[in-house]
Amino acid sequence: MDMARVGKVVRKPQFRFGLLVLVPILAWYVMLSFRTNVMAVIDYNLLHPEQSAYVGLAHFRTIFEGYKLFWVAGLNTLKYSALINAIMLPLSLALAYCLANVARGRGAYQWALFLPVVVSMAAVALLFRSLMDPDVGIFNRLLTSVGLPRSRWLTGPKSALVSVVLVDTWKAAGVYIVLLAAGLLNIPAQLYDAAKVDGASAFQSFARITLPLLRHTLTLVVVLITIGSLQVYVSALILTEGGPGTATTMISQFVVSEAFTNMRFGLASAASLVLFGVILIITMFQLRLMRTSWEY
Amino acid sequence: MRDKRGETAGQVVIHAVLLTFALVAILPFVWMFCASFKTYVEVINSRALLPEMWSLDNYVEITGRIGFVRAFQNSGSIAIPATIAIIVTSTAAGYVFAKYQFPGKELIFRLILSTMMVPFTVAIIPLFIAMSDIGLVNTLRGIILTSLCSTFGIFLMRQAIETIPNDYIDAARIDGAGEAWILRQVIVPLAGSAIATLAVFTFLGQWDSYLWPSIMLKSSKNHTIPIVLAGMRSLYSARYNVWAAGSMLTVIPVMLMFSVAQKQFIGGLSMAGLKG
Repeated sequence: MDMARVGKVVRKPQFRFGLLVLVPILAWYVMLSFRTNVMAVIDYNLLHPEQSAYVGLAHFRTIFEGYKLFWVAGLNTLKYSALINAIMLPLSLALAYCLANVARGRGAYQWALFLPVVVSMAAVALLFRSLMDPDVGIFNRLLTSVGLPRSRWLTGPKSALVSVVLVDTWKAAGVYIVLLAAGLLNIPAQLYDAAKVDGASAFQSFARITLPLLRHTLTLVVVLITIGSLQVYVSALILTEGGPGTATTMISQFVVSEAFTNMRFGLASAASLVLFGVILIITMFQLRLMRTSWEY
Repeated sequence: MRDKRGETAGQVVIHAVLLTFALVAILPFVWMFCASFKTYVEVINSRALLPEMWSLDNYVEITGRIGFVRAFQNSGSIAIPATIAIIVTSTAAGYVFAKYQFPGKELIFRLILSTMMVPFTVAIIPLFIAMSDIGLVNTLRGIILTSLCSTFGIFLMRQAIETIPNDYIDAARIDGAGEAWILRQVIVPLAGSAIATLAVFTFLGQWDSYLWPSIMLKSSKNHTIPIVLAGMRSLYSARYNVWAAGSMLTVIPVMLMFSVAQKQFIGGLSMAGLKG
């Protein structure tokens, strides 16, 4: 009874305040974020937008049938995403395990491992272009000093994509290490003690305790790596400009240059929607896969 | 109970692994720091890490020739207002979504969250056309306008404010406090650490942002730091000592901020990860 009266008294100012907060925010979202990308199905007329003609799926047909670069960029992006998942996941899981189990100095290690995350990608790209210079770069000097063959790094048609993957792994691993370490520290220590008493090996407790209880964080990390890597743009652009040739041209770069260099908004929009679809499908697939495996 | 010797051996391995990768993370920055004081000839020839002579020439060159000072001002006059705006909108919206009950609340919240799924390249073309319709292409105001709200921020603040007990809010209401007063005097202090996390991440995101500003800001007087840095590739082709100086100026403020606010970065990220 009492609560109902309180509720009645407070309803009015809350209602007004709620409107005051939500209406401008929703207006902002409607104006800027909820805009559907209709460019993909119209022939956008730059000078007279109202005269743009509806063209149906013509843009999609053009990029799929007539555009070799779209396929090249798409394949590069998928390769990049697969590679970075394959390197980033085990690496950050191993480092997170060390970070969660280290007895002293966790803060200092965390500081160092997270440092590349906070600096600007543009600066990181310039830095690694310097280090990876095939003629005077320090990486090749290090390789030759231990007797290994030199690499063309970012300028080699084969090594360029891997080099971009290495730079991005170096730059972003800190995020996933911190996320996974938090997940590991969240697992109650008693479980491991109990397993030890029961005579479980280190591998058994990893497979039977750590992995299942880390599932939530692992899923998050895999999905974040995948979504991020399929949208890769700045690193590849500043490291290689998409080259040599088209060796590191990614879908996002294709979209941006189609739209803002070649002024083909329709084609670019169609390509970006294809990317969106691929991201949705892969993410759904991953979520399904991670859910059905070890359920307790 | 536990095998003491095995424990110590394990710790040694763990320290060795962490130390190796910590060095991998830090050494490129050390190289960059040293290279920024070297001459070009020294950078490409010398095997020594430390410069023979600590010279400020590279810094003088970039601050003098390519509006680096201007770029700092531009980046700051985007990042600071955007961060303030996002803190205000995220905290207010987070409060409403966490503590108010009204029909359609979850639907609206989910609609807002769904924008996180959309790749930026899908949004960028209609966004650019919207900016050009209202004449804000090539203005810093245009960038700020598109950075007034943050979906991640609204999500984070709702999570944080939901943990605040309703009793505090009800007590203030019974004492006759207005909603804006409650937000300022009750919610903001209690959600302080989440707000700090949001502030550092937002500021950094804006400071480092490249894609959208590079499309919006065409004239060089509006260029932000990442755009100026990227431009150095052609302006100072392969002059790694000058690149290093430009990069140093960019990363130093950020590294200082991170060192001071490490708890906010790591703690906020861990919290978002465990709850997300």
